[in-house]
Amino acid sequence: MGSVVRLLADHGPAFGEALLLTWKLTVMSFVAGFALGMVITVAQLLPLRPLRFVLTGYVEVFRNIPSVALLIFIVFALPDLNVLIDYEPSVILTLTLVGSAFTADYLRTGINTVDGGQVEAARSLGMRPMVVISSVVLPQALRSVVQPMTSLLIALMLSTSLASQVPLPGRELTALVAKIANDSAAGISAFVVAAAMYLISGLLIAWAGAALEKKVRILR
Amino acid sequence: MSRALEHILFSDLSPKAQAITRAVSVSVAAALFILALGIVYRFHAAGQLDVRLWGLFAWKTTWVFLANGLLGTLASAAAAAVIALVLGLVLLVGRLSSQRGVRWPAIAVIEFLRGVPTLLLIYVCFLALPSVGIKLSAYWMLTLPVGLSTAAVVAEMYRAGVLAVPRGQTDAARSLGLNRAQVFAHVVFPQALRYIVPALVAQLVIVVKDTTFGYVVTYGELMQNAKVLIANYRSLVPVYLVVAVLYCSVNYAISRASRRLGRPMH
Amino acid sequence: MPIATILKGTLVALTLATSAPLFAQGTPIDAAAFDSLVAQGPIADAATIASSTWASKIKQTGSLRLGGTQTSNLFSLLNEKDGRIRGFDAGLAQLLTRYILGDGTKFQFTQINSSTREQVLINNQVDLVLATYSITPARAEKISFAGPYYSSQAGVLVKSNNKAIQSYNDLAGKKTATQAGSTGPAILAQFAPKATVQEFQTHQEALDALRQGRVDAYVTDYTLLLNVLSLGTGDAQLAGAPFGPQDPYGVGLPKGSDGVAFVNAFLKKIESDGTWAKLWSVTIGQRTGSTNVPTPPPIP
Repeated sequence: MGSVVRLLADHGPAFGEALLLTWKLTVMSFVAGFALGMVITVAQLLPLRPLRFVLTGYVEVFRNIPSVALLIFIVFALPDLNVLIDYEPSVILTLTLVGSAFTADYLRTGINTVDGGQVEAARSLGMRPMVVISSVVLPQALRSVVQPMTSLLIALMLSTSLASQVPLPGRELTALVAKIANDSAAGISAFVVAAAMYLISGLLIAWAGAALEKKVRILR
Repeated sequence: MSRALEHILFSDLSPKAQAITRAVSVSVAAALFILALGIVYRFHAAGQLDVRLWGLFAWKTTWVFLANGLLGTLASAAAAAVIALVLGLVLLVGRLSSQRGVRWPAIAVIEFLRGVPTLLLIYVCFLALPSVGIKLSAYWMLTLPVGLSTAAVVAEMYRAGVLAVPRGQTDAARSLGLNRAQVFAHVVFPQALRYIVPALVAQLVIVVKDTTFGYVVTYGELMQNAKVLIANYRSLVPVYLVVAVLYCSVNYAISRASRRLGRPMH
Repeated sequence: MPIATILKGTLVALTLATSAPLFAQGTPIDAAAFDSLVAQGPIADAATIASSTWASKIKQTGSLRLGGTQTSNLFSLLNEKDGRIRGFDAGLAQLLTRYILGDGTKFQFTQINSSTREQVLINNQVDLVLATYSITPARAEKISFAGPYYSSQAGVLVKSNNKAIQSYNDLAGKKTATQAGSTGPAILAQFAPKATVQEFQTHQEALDALRQGRVDAYVTDYTLLLNVLSLGTGDAQLAGAPFGPQDPYGVGLPKGSDGVAFVNAFLKKIESDGTWAKLWSVTIGQRTGSTNVPTPPPIP
């Protein structure tokens, strides 16, 4: 216990900054990934065979590729294709792409829970397909996927640890404790603090997600 | 069975709408084609289509080398999966126990392993454990944390499966005189497994993905062998591209296998 | 596509099909010379080995657990075609293996990088680390060093068209790459405190960052930079002369191990019988166009 206190005295501010950076990366990739995932899901509903084919491929690729392999490709290989992306945006881009693939998947499941009868009724009222999607299908689909999306948000937060593998100007939580453990003997206490921070953040998200789900869920 | 939503949404379109749809379809196809050409052109303009960079893939030794890396990946993934399945079961039994003294620690362990990044656990095994005298080999420093992390997820999956087994089964078994342990082992758990097998196999994909952190603990697997090829041949883009395709293919094969197994929960 | 490109492609393809690869890095190492040099190295007698618990343990196990790199062109590069690692560090490690076990190929290799070098010794994952490992007091607290077996200073590498950076004095405000866990960060802190430092895990990654324009300069051991120049691609140059303190490379060993005395005796032996100089020529000298063999640093 004493070593944890000493550790916090030495590195307290660094831990605070690291936590903020972790949250920042998480939020930015989640928002971008969610928006992109929604666009993909809607686009896959359109009767455009070539588009659906390509998007299915996109989802399969980014669900199956290891995030580290994707990050390394973006950071180390893309510049050879004359696409130079800075480190932090690279991390966010990686997590966004992976997040969008999983969002598209979950959202698709959510759409499947909407009863076909509702769509038929809306169509028979003369609503155009896009209006049906935006006012009938999507709202219900979104309300039914709160729980998997909460899990995705937590998973994304845990995945920000891979930012430790590229030379970011700032250090997020995992990079910070790896450095502390390398440089000093305070290894175990540093890991305990980081683990606690991840855990508490995750629990907060899970609690908020559960509360949101209870409010918006559709009882059928 | 109701038809897929897309069919309901876009059936019975007026002839004019159908014509518009066809036209848009063709233009989208054309746009995608141009995009593909653009990407190929970008490769060419950056000199990445040079035979010099791709020639190494014509050699058998390159593929043998990559295959060895992949074996390293799979060796770790397989052991981690076994650990996860077995430990997950232990955690599940603890989680479902009627005694608080067993249930609460089980919940704590599960929540801890689920709430902490796998990479952090890997660093713990590599940097922190040795300082208290626990020195593992590189293989175990990768496999153990991945296995533990996955065990917690698997435990929750088992629980979802168990909760999905209809209560009637439990009641009937109890009324036949089986005790709780027998009910669990012979009636509930086998059925629970069948519900969740696709999800379990899908978790295997995540295990394979986690093994890419092998280089952090100096365990040799596919990513590491890729770096050797790059150091030898300066062929960054082609090597990383091929390695990415290899990973995607392996994981895709696993996902496809999972979709054929098991039955839906209701 | 222009005819010229097609013809060039065909020519390259024909050359590929008929001869050794065009695209090995710079001057490839003379594999035959390297292999025969290692195969002729000295072998210790039983008494010498028995006098060291570290060496005796290795002899008992039958193989030496080596921590090194596979991706460093001059010092230790794995040829995936024949599975052999060749380079200056690799040669020393294999000579040492032959010295203890009679056969330079009986080693178990673990790939390490600048972040894992100390930990693998502390974790007892390897018996020694030979990987352009600079001896510093901070590291000497966690592990022990034998040697030094080589010394180098720091150098600054920039792209050929960079006229703005003439030496380490011009690095203020510039993005500078260096290897994490190496002496680079400390040297930069002392000589170019206003540089924006980016730390990379391997030499290859830092080089690629320079080539791709992510950083303006790369500061690391001078010898590593000589290798880049030996590639002859003309796209990089040294900015200024080597600077900074003489950076001694040592052999990493577990803390307090008696292997230090053993390895030091081995190093003195190969330095005095000319093997060290021959190894330097084959692995570094011939490939960077340097003919004056440096004198090995004195071993305390």
